[in-house]
Amino acid sequence: MLLSDTFRASIRAIAVNKNRAFLTMLGIIIGVASVVLMVSIGKTFQSYIVGLVESFGSNTMDIAPKGFEKFGGNLESMTFEDYDAIRKLSTVERVVPVIMVAKSVKYGKEEVSPMVLGGKKDIFGNYGLKLEHGRLLDDSDDEGAKSVAVIGAQSALDLFGNSDPIGRKITIGDGSFQIVGVLQTMGSFLTQDLDKLVFIPYATARSLSGQKYLSYITLKTVGDPELAKQDITALLRQRHKITNPTNDPDKDDFIARSAKQVTQTIGTVTLGLTLFLALIAGISLLVGGIGIMNIMLVSVTERTREIGLRKAVGARSRDILLQFLFEAVSLTVTGGIIGMVLGAGFGWFLTRLAARFLGPLTFILSPSAILMAFVMAVGTGLVFGIFPAKHAASLSPMEALRFE
Amino acid sequence: MSFSSLIQTVDLCKSYDNDGVVTPVLYDINLTINRGEFISIMGPSGSGKSTLMHILGFLDLHSTGKYLFQGQATASFGDDDLARIRATRVSFVFQAFNLLPRTTVKENVMLPLLYHPTIPPSEREERTLKAIELVGLADRKDYYSSQLSGGQKQRVAIARSLVTNPDVIFADEPTGNLDSASGVAVMQALQKLNDDGHTIILVTHERTTAEHAKRIVHIRDGRIVSDSTDFQRAIAGKTEQLK
Repeated sequence: MLLSDTFRASIRAIAVNKNRAFLTMLGIIIGVASVVLMVSIGKTFQSYIVGLVESFGSNTMDIAPKGFEKFGGNLESMTFEDYDAIRKLSTVERVVPVIMVAKSVKYGKEEVSPMVLGGKKDIFGNYGLKLEHGRLLDDSDDEGAKSVAVIGAQSALDLFGNSDPIGRKITIGDGSFQIVGVLQTMGSFLTQDLDKLVFIPYATARSLSGQKYLSYITLKTVGDPELAKQDITALLRQRHKITNPTNDPDKDDFIARSAKQVTQTIGTVTLGLTLFLALIAGISLLVGGIGIMNIMLVSVTERTREIGLRKAVGARSRDILLQFLFEAVSLTVTGGIIGMVLGAGFGWFLTRLAARFLGPLTFILSPSAILMAFVMAVGTGLVFGIFPAKHAASLSPMEALRFE
Repeated sequence: MSFSSLIQTVDLCKSYDNDGVVTPVLYDINLTINRGEFISIMGPSGSGKSTLMHILGFLDLHSTGKYLFQGQATASFGDDDLARIRATRVSFVFQAFNLLPRTTVKENVMLPLLYHPTIPPSEREERTLKAIELVGLADRKDYYSSQLSGGQKQRVAIARSLVTNPDVIFADEPTGNLDSASGVAVMQALQKLNDDGHTIILVTHERTTAEHAKRIVHIRDGRIVSDSTDFQRAIAGKTEQLK
């Protein structure tokens, strides 16, 4: 029998039982849709986060006291002298000391609790923040410890509504600050809403908070970020009197992390998470495959006399095997294609929905997700179709014809 | 051994082994059928006549003895050889018609051509229509099998059996599910095929059906009890045996 005839016979058998075929495919549709959805959403958010990190510039590096992420900006290991020493290294530039001020910000009756960062002028460039209107902080603001502030777009909206904030005075803690600039909308980075940040000069922040230590240092590396990291690590170990010949990061009291490293870490974490979710989605595909096998076995039993007849008119065992295998694979591939379209469509819809909250977000339907879904659909058909097909092929023509 | 014989069995036996329980069904069947014959194998239910037809039609294998088809011993035939013979040399008309459900007359008749190794796809349509025309169902070729009467269904089965132009057509109780008028029409159709040179082997327990054949083989309890070309003598022989 020609393969094309076998294929036609399979499609015909599916077509005469449309409802059952659809119900059988449902498991595969849901399974493949889930896998495509999970992988695509994972890729979309990975790309979004990596894009955000890279918008800072992949050569941006933060040096923070160890435990900074857990305990905030009041750890006592990073000094102003550390900053001074680091800025003298040849592998770094635009070094900015940062002090985080934990004070609420008020304007009239409006009160917000943004993150207030005291830094030098290069902090904006290091973080890729752009001015919407007014001006950014400059050296004279820092040297004079002026009470001026540059605020994020969301903070501007929260405090002043639609009116122009430039020249208005806000209260940070006990101090009064004049707003000199408003930043462009940037969206969020991880859990941090960049549009809510408020920037004041470093010297002003120091006196306002009374902090003797730096919250962290941000800088740009020159050349290879790894080299800069080595220089900084060696310098800080020497300054903090840390003996660490085995280069064990746990022994250090600081963490130096480049945007590139963050990107790689995020990439690894999101990949792991995506694969985990895809694996869970894959379980529904397994259940769908078992459904296919079940229905195919029922189909073989139902069509035993047909199998007997086909053998009586000359069908070989492999003709029957191929026919039933084609049927199973046709069901899973059709289900797979429908699942792919549904998964991609739902993923696109969710991305559009998320973009309302996160800013511009491009949906990524990765070719690997499509390929994986297709391979899984065909594989499911083959794996779960082979047993019923072999069973059908092994029937003796005479016994099959006598089957009641 | 004569090479003009189409089918020859020598001491052919068949028994079924069911989990160690051996049940003999056919004993020492010696039968020669020549090309162009119209032969009835008669016998009561359970006599082994259908089993003999299944073996002769390559739907089942014999246990011991010899089965020669066109002079060739069949004992060494593998599954693919048997399938090839079923596709090219033999065909069947069953009591229960065995038409594919939700399928048209044309598609049912065309079915054996899908498995025929040498007839090219381009000839399928022409052969199918010719076979349908031969059984007088040209105006019903696009009907679904469920839209046909019992007699028409059996004529579709006959068209299906002759579409590959086989050497021998096996008919197993072809009138068993039909009223007498339809039964006569079906037998006339088989008669006509025999007149055209086809070898017909008919299995039946009905005397009126067997009367269409030119030779009657009686089988009882797995043994041939008479083999005659004279119908009256054959019936008499059977009566004698029963006494």
